[in-house]
Amino acid sequence: MTPSSFYHENGGRKFFQNVERMYTNKHEWILIDGKTGTVGISHYAQDALGDVVYAQLPDVGTEVLKKDECGALESVKAASELYCPLSGRVIEKNAAVEETPALINQSCYEKGWLFKIELTNPDELKELMTESEYENFLKTDAH
Amino acid sequence: MAQNFVQGSIVKLQRIAITGMKRNKPLALSSMKFCNYSSSAQQGSEEAKVAGTVKSVFISQSNDIFTNLALEDWLYRNFDFTNHHILLLWQNSPAVVIGRHQNPWLEANTAVLSEHGIEIARRNSGGGTVYHDRGNLNLTFFTPREHYSRKNNLQLICRALLREWGLKTEISPREDIVSGNYKISGTAAKLGRPNAYHHCTLLVDVDKVKLGHALHKHNKGIKTNATQSIPSPVMNLCDLNSHVKMEKLLASIGWEYLRTDPYSAEDKGEDFIGKQRGFQFINPTDQWFPGLEKLRAEFASWGWRFGKSPKFNVTRTFRVPRELLSKDELTDQELSITIDVNKGVVEDVLLTVPPRLAAAKGFSGQAQVVTSLRGQQFSEEAITMLQKALSELESPEQTRNEFVVHCMRQVVTSI
Repeated sequence: MTPSSFYHENGGRKFFQNVERMYTNKHEWILIDGKTGTVGISHYAQDALGDVVYAQLPDVGTEVLKKDECGALESVKAASELYCPLSGRVIEKNAAVEETPALINQSCYEKGWLFKIELTNPDELKELMTESEYENFLKTDAH
Repeated sequence: MAQNFVQGSIVKLQRIAITGMKRNKPLALSSMKFCNYSSSAQQGSEEAKVAGTVKSVFISQSNDIFTNLALEDWLYRNFDFTNHHILLLWQNSPAVVIGRHQNPWLEANTAVLSEHGIEIARRNSGGGTVYHDRGNLNLTFFTPREHYSRKNNLQLICRALLREWGLKTEISPREDIVSGNYKISGTAAKLGRPNAYHHCTLLVDVDKVKLGHALHKHNKGIKTNATQSIPSPVMNLCDLNSHVKMEKLLASIGWEYLRTDPYSAEDKGEDFIGKQRGFQFINPTDQWFPGLEKLRAEFASWGWRFGKSPKFNVTRTFRVPRELLSKDELTDQELSITIDVNKGVVEDVLLTVPPRLAAAKGFSGQAQVVTSLRGQQFSEEAITMLQKALSELESPEQTRNEFVVHCMRQVVTSI
């Protein structure tokens, strides 16, 4: 599985430049820019959730590991866990989404982004799915 | 006391099984043994894997809200439900339980609760605030995420009530179980991967007077984006049918759960029950559930119960007594207080002091109020500290300071 990304070595520091979002089997996406990753949930996930009434996002400064529970989205009396796609440190959370959780339903790939992390282990990116792999995953029963 | 309930219930369940209620054939109950539930210990028997998914009914022996929430959380985090679905039945001593993203000060009168020995707890699932006592039955349906279905679970409960007592109940659009306009059950859920649970209450014989007082809401001047409860009129099952009793209900719902297909949700009849794991009494201790104590401590902590509240501000205004105003002032004057609270801690205080109260010498305590309270937990104790700080000020206007403190106390304690 090769992510469609460019892998640079630059003075001993490795970083990825992603041209597309990468996905987890928990329906989150991450978009990499240098060492920063922006995290959100997929269209499938926001649709399955229904109207989001509250977004509990991780605080800035929190250290997170890949697959950790790091927040929750509440909709119709259900609290759905948010998982961290990659390991890192939270550097920003989307205050607009905290104020207006409906942004997640309206614009899950743009305005409805959830939080940003500084990656601590960029190699983990290899374990994620590309957009086309994620679309195939959605067609299987496994999701 | 819990032990007697357990012993009595074991005997009763065995008797019910043997006489089979309305059934003709006696049914074999699984052995009532306690198991160590750490994940390494539950591989699932070979026969279970061959036969498909089996079901168990677990009955918690604890009546402590924090222990039961911890037990629920432990199962959610550690148990593999792939081939084994579980229904957990539990009851608590009086407690108010708020949803994950709620504000306890907004949802209940926290000062009054502690006076009456009613605990306040925050659960991990969404939804609104409920009152528990021993007349309320909690049911938690555990499954893998893909097989989560609130509707199936609620229909199962309605079937059990119909089968045992001929009670006709419906599921409202908000997924509460109702009888006419009265709610007898509230629902909430937590969805993770791979596990999920749907839990609900069932009002059997709850003290409705205490429920009304505990959940009493009035205009508290709180502004927040925390999720808010939608109040509903409630009714007990025993009001609908005086024969409904807690112990029989546990058995009745348990049997209905065991005879229901885990996937199609069809009633598969009595024979299906024999293929399941039956009832099991659960002793929620750290010995059987390693790590349980740590989970309990977290649920009982101030930081989780109060500190986890989404940020809010509360504004109250107070009429200034005439004696504190200058003689020539005729109109009413008001003191306004706004407190900003984040993570249960005071972030900022804004006092709007009417000019006449400030008078020529000024209200000397203004800065003191703000600095004393910033960083303190939003509580009665913080106001006591403020009072002490103000009384130590060199001020001939002590009555004015006292008035301000009195108002601050009102803000904190009466919400």
